[in-house]
Amino acid sequence: MSAVAAKPAAGGAMNPTAMAVGVVMTLILLGICFAVSPGLGLMTLIGVVIGGVLIGFGTHFVPVGGAPAAMGQAPGIATGVAMLAAGAGLAGLFGGAWAAEQGLVVAVVTGGIGGGLMMAITCMMVNFVYVFGMGIPSASGKVAKDPITGDTQAEYKSQGTEGHGLPFISFVGGVIGGILGGAGGTLIYIELLTLYEETLPGVMNITSEQVMPIAVSAAGMFAVGLFLVNAVLTAYNITGTIEGPHDPKFKRWPRSIVASAVASALCGLVAVLIVVL
Amino acid sequence: MSVKVEVIEGGVPHTTILAAGLVSTLVCLYLTYLNVITNTELFSFFGGLAVVAALIWGSHTIKVLCSYGIGTGVPSAGMIAFGSGVIAMLLATKFDILAPIVALVLAAVIGFILGYVSNNILNMKIPAMVQALTEMAIVGALSLMGFAALMTGGFTFTGLTMLPAKTMLTAAGLETTYQYSFIGGGLIAVAFLLGALAIQHPFNACLGPGWKQDRMLMLTAECGFLSMIVAAVMSFALISAGSALIALIVAIIGWVYTYGQYMEMSKRDAAAWLDAKPIPEVEGH
Repeated sequence: MSAVAAKPAAGGAMNPTAMAVGVVMTLILLGICFAVSPGLGLMTLIGVVIGGVLIGFGTHFVPVGGAPAAMGQAPGIATGVAMLAAGAGLAGLFGGAWAAEQGLVVAVVTGGIGGGLMMAITCMMVNFVYVFGMGIPSASGKVAKDPITGDTQAEYKSQGTEGHGLPFISFVGGVIGGILGGAGGTLIYIELLTLYEETLPGVMNITSEQVMPIAVSAAGMFAVGLFLVNAVLTAYNITGTIEGPHDPKFKRWPRSIVASAVASALCGLVAVLIVVL
Repeated sequence: MSVKVEVIEGGVPHTTILAAGLVSTLVCLYLTYLNVITNTELFSFFGGLAVVAALIWGSHTIKVLCSYGIGTGVPSAGMIAFGSGVIAMLLATKFDILAPIVALVLAAVIGFILGYVSNNILNMKIPAMVQALTEMAIVGALSLMGFAALMTGGFTFTGLTMLPAKTMLTAAGLETTYQYSFIGGGLIAVAFLLGALAIQHPFNACLGPGWKQDRMLMLTAECGFLSMIVAAVMSFALISAGSALIALIVAIIGWVYTYGQYMEMSKRDAAAWLDAKPIPEVEGH
C-alpha cells in the first residue's frame, strides 16, 4: 500500500514560520553547546552540522526510482532514498575512516571519493541491467533535453511511463550526491572521533591507547545514527522519487537544509554531552 | 498528505499497545538489574524480552504512521527509529540505574523535535507524524538498551565499555584493552541492525488489504526472538556461559512458539493453502 498505491502529496511549498523556527532552534542548540563545552565541543558540533547539511543537500542529487523504477516505469535506481543515501554515505564513511590519521582534509576528500565511487559503480551497473537486461533505453520524463549532453528525450520514452533507465544527467547527479554524502558522513565521524580521543581518556580514567576502540566505535555509531536520521528526513522531503538535479523536486532543497541543520545540531549536541556530563 | 489510506479495523487500539509495550519494556529492563543485586548474570535474558516487547509496540507504531502513505517505504521508518534511538541510548547509559528512564525522556525529546521538523519544516502535514516519531525513537533507544543488557548483563556505560568480570576472555588477561566490550567491540552495530530489521520487516511483510493485527504482531515477536537468538549467541563472549545458555534457550523456545503461531495465523488468513515441499524429490529421474 504505502509504496505503490499512495501518491504523496506533500507539496513543494515552503513554510516560512517553521523555517525561521528551525533556524532559531539550531542557534539555540549551538548556544547550549557553547555553554556546556566552549572550544572543542562547539567546534565538533559545527562540524557535525556542516556534515549533516552536506548529507541532506547531497541526497537531492541522487536519482531515486523506488518501486516504479524496478518495473522500468520511472527513471532512477530502483530503491528508496534512505537506502541509497545510507549506502553512499556509509561507503564514503568507511573510505574516509581509513584515512582518519592523515588529517581532516585528506580524510574528508577520501570519504567523498569513496561515496562518489560507490554511486558511480551503482549507476553504471544499474544502467547495464536496464539496457542489456530489461532492454529499455535511458530517457528522462521530466525534461525535454538532457541539460548536459543536449540529447532529446521524448522519442525514447515509452508511452504511459515517466521515463526509464538512467539518463546522463541522473548519472552525474548520482556521483555528485555520493561525493557530498560521503564527505558529510566522514566529516561527522572525524569530528566526533577527534573529540572522543581528546576527552574520553579523562572521563574514563584510562590511557589514550586504551580508549581507541571505544572512541572509534562510539564515533562510528553516532555517525551512522546521524546519517540515517538525515537520510530519512531528506527522504521525507523528496517524498518518494527524484530524477536528479533537473527534477522540479530538486527545488525543495532549502527545506531539507534547515531540517538537516536542526536534526544534526540536536543529535550532535547529545553526542557531545556524552563526554561533558 | 492527510488522507488515511487504510484504517485499523478491530483489534487492540494503539494506545493499549503503547501502554503495554512501554510498561513491559521498562519492567523487563529493570529486571536485568537483579544481576547487580544478586551479583550474577542469570537475569540477562530479561533484556531480550524487553527487546521483543519494544519491537511489538514499535511495529504497530510503524503501521499507524505508514498507513498515511509517506511515500518513502516502510524500512525508512525503522531506520530513523534506530538512528535517533542509538543517539539517545548512548548518552543515557551514563546515568547508571536511571538509564532506561533517561533514555525514554531523551528519545522522546529527540523524536518530538524530529517529528516537528518533518511535519512543519518539510511540510509533511501527517497527523500521526509527531507522536509516531516520538514513539519510534523511544522504541529504538529501549530496544538497543535491551540488547545491551542481554549481551553484557547490564546497561551502564562502564559495563558496556569494559569486559565483564566472569568470562573466558578475562582469564586470558584481556580486561585492560576495552576492545572486548559491547561498544568497543562494535557489537552495538550488530544490535543496531538486528533491531532495525526486526522492526521494519513485519509491517512491510503483512501490509495490504488482508492485514490482520494479530498476525503482524506475532510476526514481530517472531522477528524479535530471532534477533534475540543471534544476540544470545554473541553474549557467550561477554557473560558467563550458563547465563548466556539460559538466554539462548529462552530465545529458541520463544522463536519456535511464535513461528508456529505465525504459520497458524497465515494459514487462517490465506484463501487456500497448498503444503508444497520447498525442494521437490527427484526420484525416478
